Amino acid sequence: MNNILIALITGLTTGGLSCLAVQGGLLASSLASQVELDLQNQPVTASGKRKRVAAVPVGKKVHLARPILFFLAAKLLAYTLLGFLLGALGSVLQLNPVSRGILQAAVGVFMLGTALRMFNIHPIFRIFAIEPPASLRRWIRRFSKGSDSAVTPLFLGALTVLIPCGVTQAMMALAVGTGNAATGAAILFAFTLGASPLFFAAAYLTTRLGTVLERYFTRFVAALVLILGLISIDAGLTLMGAPFSPSNLMIRLSTPQGAAAAAENDPAASGAYELVVNATDTGYQPEYLQAPANQPLRLIVKTQETYSCSRAFVIPELDMGEMLPATGSVAFDIPPQQAGKILYFSCSMGMYGGAIRFN
Amino acid sequence: MAKVTFTIADMHCSNCVMRLEGIEDDLPGVHRATASYRSQKMEVEYDETLVTVEEIAAAIRKKGYEPTH
Repeated sequence: MNNILIALITGLTTGGLSCLAVQGGLLASSLASQVELDLQNQPVTASGKRKRVAAVPVGKKVHLARPILFFLAAKLLAYTLLGFLLGALGSVLQLNPVSRGILQAAVGVFMLGTALRMFNIHPIFRIFAIEPPASLRRWIRRFSKGSDSAVTPLFLGALTVLIPCGVTQAMMALAVGTGNAATGAAILFAFTLGASPLFFAAAYLTTRLGTVLERYFTRFVAALVLILGLISIDAGLTLMGAPFSPSNLMIRLSTPQGAAAAAENDPAASGAYELVVNATDTGYQPEYLQAPANQPLRLIVKTQETYSCSRAFVIPELDMGEMLPATGSVAFDIPPQQAGKILYFSCSMGMYGGAIRFN
Repeated sequence: MAKVTFTIADMHCSNCVMRLEGIEDDLPGVHRATASYRSQKMEVEYDETLVTVEEIAAAIRKKGYEPTH
């Protein structure tokens, strides 16, 4: 349930713009037949330049809302089906935290490249553009011209599964990670539904208000994708338990060693030292702990009405992980570690993390 | 059948590619148009008895892009 809520919020906040940046081409194609009719009556400027197809002159009567809605409805259906398939795939091929971390970091690199391409920093970043093969482009173009106006956006909306944006790919990885077809479908349904209002608003405004806004809009989306890419790389590295991930570096640098929470109870009682970590909605408290080296450690993770992804607790290096109850505690028995070892833990998305230093 | 390659420096996304390739449908005599956002080029195969390079360039300009060859 928690992952579904995260997917919905991610969609509501960033998904719409990120998807539009990647899938805008297909949307524009689905609108093209209506918009081009309008453009035929638009005067060509002295330089021979004409406004872009996506830009509709203000005041012209073009019914854009309906095809955008059809496009989004088909997209919602297609992604729900994709989520179902990915969840089913995940149940066969369960990814461990490190694999998920690698996938998430790779998604982050892709997003970073996409953002730099959109900023037009250097031609090399054009390799991050997803271009359908020429034969498919030709087929889409002819289909969109020859078919009924309702069928085109429906069909092209469904085709967006072939060009998922970076954020969508992260959600797809999340769907695989659930290892459950129904949950996978629910995650991509929630994300796509959440992304729809922003996608609709941005697409509608962009096509209405023309190229000036389109230029600013592209830069705005590029900046957003850049930030998300960096977050995704950091989350991926954290999920892999990499000591050099920015989050893990921050945990180590911001917490003086003397201030770290130490193992607390009588080792004789349970045969292992115990450490308690509270998983809250905003992360783990304390983030940095100390434990004696060369002795077994029992790490008790407590929750108290916790509903964020911190409940999906993992220790990547030991391949340990469990979905914690909303309120309760789960114990993880950690085998003896050498002195100086730092063991990282995080949520399953790599958003929140912490570390245990063995002394 | 003749072939001409244009450089179109103001292609800024994959959407431009599909838009430009539309000249295949718009201009009689254009047999095949294949654009690439990555290389910023468009290759056009055309029947020189039906259409000229200048007419193809004009069709590209009409779509809002500046071709050079």
